[in-house]
Amino acid sequence: MRTIVFVIAVFAAALFIGTGSAWYVIDHGTPLTTERIGPWASWTTEGNPIADPYTKAHLARSGRLPLTSTAARYFVARTDSDGYALSASCEYAIAGPSINARWWSLAVYNDQGFVIDNPSQRYSFNSDELLRHADGTYRVNLSKNARPENWLPSGDDPDRNLVVMLRIYSPRVTDATGTGQVLPDRLPKIERKSCD
Amino acid sequence: MRLRIPLLYLLLAIVLAGLIHLAAVLALPSVAPKNAFARLKPLGDANVMIELPPVKPGEETMPMQAPDVRYAFCRYDLSGGPVRLSAVIPDDLWLIAFYTPKGDNFYAVSGADMRRGKVDMIINETGQPVPEADADAPEEEEVVVVESPLKEGIAMIRAPLSGASRSARTAEALKSATCAPFAR
Repeated sequence: MRTIVFVIAVFAAALFIGTGSAWYVIDHGTPLTTERIGPWASWTTEGNPIADPYTKAHLARSGRLPLTSTAARYFVARTDSDGYALSASCEYAIAGPSINARWWSLAVYNDQGFVIDNPSQRYSFNSDELLRHADGTYRVNLSKNARPENWLPSGDDPDRNLVVMLRIYSPRVTDATGTGQVLPDRLPKIERKSCD
Repeated sequence: MRLRIPLLYLLLAIVLAGLIHLAAVLALPSVAPKNAFARLKPLGDANVMIELPPVKPGEETMPMQAPDVRYAFCRYDLSGGPVRLSAVIPDDLWLIAFYTPKGDNFYAVSGADMRRGKVDMIINETGQPVPEADADAPEEEEVVVVESPLKEGIAMIRAPLSGASRSARTAEALKSATCAPFAR
């Protein structure tokens, strides 16, 4: 009797730990699969046929169809630079220097990855349309209400969590495998200005 | 002796947990019901170019689509022979990427890598004889043979938008892109 209980307990524990750890690693990544710089996370071999099984599982679950890491890099932020979850009830300044790539774009989504309805139908800013300062730096204001410079509306649902994606097409610097390199200091900071 | 049996169970649990972990990770790409291929497939037939509608709230095909990129794709099926993709590349920013059904991007080329003008891509299954390109193809035409590791896959054209005037031209160029069985 005790043996049966033990065996059941072993199987239950194994199932829990096995699937739980798999889910966690596929969702969050590890230092081997995922580059983390401030609030930004990027799966370094995403879309690449040589990617490891964790990256492939992550991709299959995401429903996305990203370009291979030698053609583009994707950086995702779910928090501000201080680590607090991005929320539509707060106002943020996303500021950084120019990025050495052929084209790049900063877009905001809800936590399901879909764009947020707003009267100006503005969902992103890209490197060709962004208003910049004289020194090449830029600032995107992510907020509910209209702001000067580059205003990226976060919609009027205060309970909504936000996801910001920086997609960089054809980075000009690559490593030996051809994977695009984006220097950590080129990624913008996400500063929380105020909350409702 | 009394300690050994729980220790055995513990070891068993750890080994089993590891196996379940590995199985879950390896199986996921084959069983994920809503991967990109599954989302694109219902939009139309194989071997035709299909433009994705511009991103609007509630009308996206895939999560995290770029709002400032226009997409057109061809879900190719090589069981009837090679497939030809033709497009007029308007600028350096365009990207044409080829994927397996699981989302491996095995080939990608940018507008900057190609000669301007009309580009013809012949998608051929790896190991199958390469069809001869038309000998009398016009000079400005560039013919690229893309080796697809599987019979099925997706060719996706990305046309990043840059400024209102160029956007209209980009949309126009995307409409003229075609995908069809390659017939000689």
